[in-house]
Amino acid sequence: MAYAVEVKNIVKKFPSVTAVDDVSFNVDEGEIFGLLGPNGAGKTTLNRMLTCLIKPTSGQANIRGLDVVKYPVRVRRNIGVVSQAMTSDLDLTAWENLDIYGKYFDIPKTRRHETIKYLLETVGLANRAQELVATYSGGMRRRLEIARGLIHKPYILFLDEPTTGLDPQSRRVIWDLLNKIRKETKLTIFITTHYMDEADFLCDRIAIVDYGKIVVLDSPSNLKRSIGGFDIIEMLLSNYTPEVEASLKAMQFVKNITKKDEYTRVYVTDAAKAMPVIIEDIKKMHGSIDYLAIQKQSLEDVFIHYTGKTIREAEAQKTNFILGAGAPRQFPGGRL
Amino acid sequence: MRALAITERDLRRFSRNPIVLIASILMPLVYLVIMGNSFQGELKHLPIVVVDQDNGPYARRMLELLQAIQDGPHTLDMTRSSDQRAAIEGVKNGFYKGALIIPPRFSEDVVKHVNPQVGLFLDNTDSISAAGVSSVVSRSMSYLKSGYVSVRSTLAQSQFRPVELYKKIDYDASLVPGIIVMAIFMGTTFTGAFSLVMDKFLGIHESYLSTPLTKMDIVAGIIISGVLVTTLLSFIVMMGGMFMTGVKLAGGLVSFALLLLTIVLTALGLLSMVFVVLGRADHPRIVGVTIGFLNVIFFFPSGAVYPIESLPGWLKAFARVNPEAYAVHALKSLILKSTGFVAIQGDILFLLVFTAVMLCIATATFKRTM
Ligand SMILES: Nc1ncnc2c1ncn2[C@@H]1O[C@H](COP(=O)(O)OP(=O)(O)OP(=O)(O)O)[C@@H](O)[C@H]1O
Ligand SMILES: [Mg+2]
Repeated sequence: MAYAVEVKNIVKKFPSVTAVDDVSFNVDEGEIFGLLGPNGAGKTTLNRMLTCLIKPTSGQANIRGLDVVKYPVRVRRNIGVVSQAMTSDLDLTAWENLDIYGKYFDIPKTRRHETIKYLLETVGLANRAQELVATYSGGMRRRLEIARGLIHKPYILFLDEPTTGLDPQSRRVIWDLLNKIRKETKLTIFITTHYMDEADFLCDRIAIVDYGKIVVLDSPSNLKRSIGGFDIIEMLLSNYTPEVEASLKAMQFVKNITKKDEYTRVYVTDAAKAMPVIIEDIKKMHGSIDYLAIQKQSLEDVFIHYTGKTIREAEAQKTNFILGAGAPRQFPGGRL
Repeated sequence: MRALAITERDLRRFSRNPIVLIASILMPLVYLVIMGNSFQGELKHLPIVVVDQDNGPYARRMLELLQAIQDGPHTLDMTRSSDQRAAIEGVKNGFYKGALIIPPRFSEDVVKHVNPQVGLFLDNTDSISAAGVSSVVSRSMSYLKSGYVSVRSTLAQSQFRPVELYKKIDYDASLVPGIIVMAIFMGTTFTGAFSLVMDKFLGIHESYLSTPLTKMDIVAGIIISGVLVTTLLSFIVMMGGMFMTGVKLAGGLVSFALLLLTIVLTALGLLSMVFVVLGRADHPRIVGVTIGFLNVIFFFPSGAVYPIESLPGWLKAFARVNPEAYAVHALKSLILKSTGFVAIQGDILFLLVFTAVMLCIATATFKRTM
């Protein structure tokens, strides 16, 4: 069976920069695949090559076995696209936006209208369908664009930073929405993001990209494990005796114990599994826990590990334009 | 049809911004008023200074004739002076458009038939006023020579100005075809390729480039909506212009249909041409500059305000490939001369060929990638 997305040594050079530099990977059908990287990493450029919006300089990409350069029209019928910039028409209603977009795909009227109703329901905009998109919030507009990307029932949905610029609630709504759609339709989702938590929450596998190259590719949990970090359980214990310490140290998943001021820090492989056992053990030894906090290791640590910088630092080097073309546009000769 | 979806999108968006449409109907009509008054109106109140060194009967007669013109059609505002040098200086300094010097022996020369002459110093930096003054003075000279006494009364009649509602302003029906072409051109500046440029500028085109729409779909869809909007607004402008100038269509329904055909074809041709020029532009400022330029180079050598026959050779050659010139010719024939299809078939043919060529280039050069 063909992969949903198959990328072989793909390269995109712009006059001043190699935006995507010899990237190869495969995405399975039904998978949620994440591309995680800071501004300017080349996410949008890669996305645009896979969605037939720009041509690769070299290399190859197949969507469900179809070469994106040779068969762009057939590829476009197989994919839905939600681009980084908001691209719905502000002076049309949500319904009109979807209806016209459906016509671009030659969907017959009855089926089109049924699909629109279903999608508006799914993304929670059914009761605002007849209002101009200009009156929508950013999160609503995004959900409309996700609905629009699904109007022709594509096999693969490409989303380019769908939650950038949205507040935490709206982001959460979109995550749940994507999970729901995936469950209902077995859709393959290709998503780019620069949010660690987003990639962690949604993706089956993540490719971390930086300077146009894939730095590492694996599932979120494998990635975290691969850097050999630990979750830290920090406790304030009364009656912390050497016996307690010995008992904790004897546990298989406890890697280390340190003391800092009055606080005891226990390094474990997986805090969720370790915690109940540790609490039980301390109770048995008549200790009592006055304070407890868990510091889970995150993809942030993974990112630092593989790129040598935090994603915030990488971010700070560039400004992100939510509005506009997404990719920084170049104006030769200062045309602006 | 996918192309029609593009058209629908465009039309729906126009319907949400009716101000643009209303403005683009009003503007050509305002032009009609402004142009009617600035080009076609008669010259008025040209200040001249008269130095009468003769003081004889014929000098007096001449002054009376000029006075009559001043009191009648108000072409002149006369000032008397006895200082020839000061008068000429006044022309140089721009106080007067001309200085008329009647020499000492003028009346005597008239009587003796020995080529009587007056001196006329003109401000040749303002050629239109200079020509006006010169023609008025030579007219009064000729009256003088033929010696009619009835001259005064004839001139006095021109005090009776027509007072019908629309004639009060000096509109000229001959400007109506030009105004229609202007409306068509205006339509092409905010529909058609402009919609595409705005989409690119806002990054919205990414959304439809990732659909199965073909180049043809996009170009055709955008041009069809442009033709619909442009035709609608030019038609309203045409009706308004005809109403304001009191022109009636003599040819009835057939003329009407031919007018519509001419307008649609002109709109198609101009929209396709603008698409060729702006198909790859991605910033509205490029549109502003280009459109302003195109408007001038196509409108003035179109015969709308100045006859093509009087243009210099090279400009006449350009007018032969200027679609607006054919449009103006066809519209003038239909509106002002009430001719039938035969008179405009050449124009229609040119516009058809022009449109076909431009559409091909537009589609071929349009870039479907980002
Ligand atoms: N059309 C273009 N012309 C020239 N350079 C470009 C173009 N598009 C992108 N680039 C460059 O390619 C590099 C990658 O840009 P890209 O937009 O793919 O990054 P990104 O990961 O999507 O960033 P962001 O998080 O800001 O969206 C950048 O250095 C950018 O300046
Ligand atoms: Mg991007």
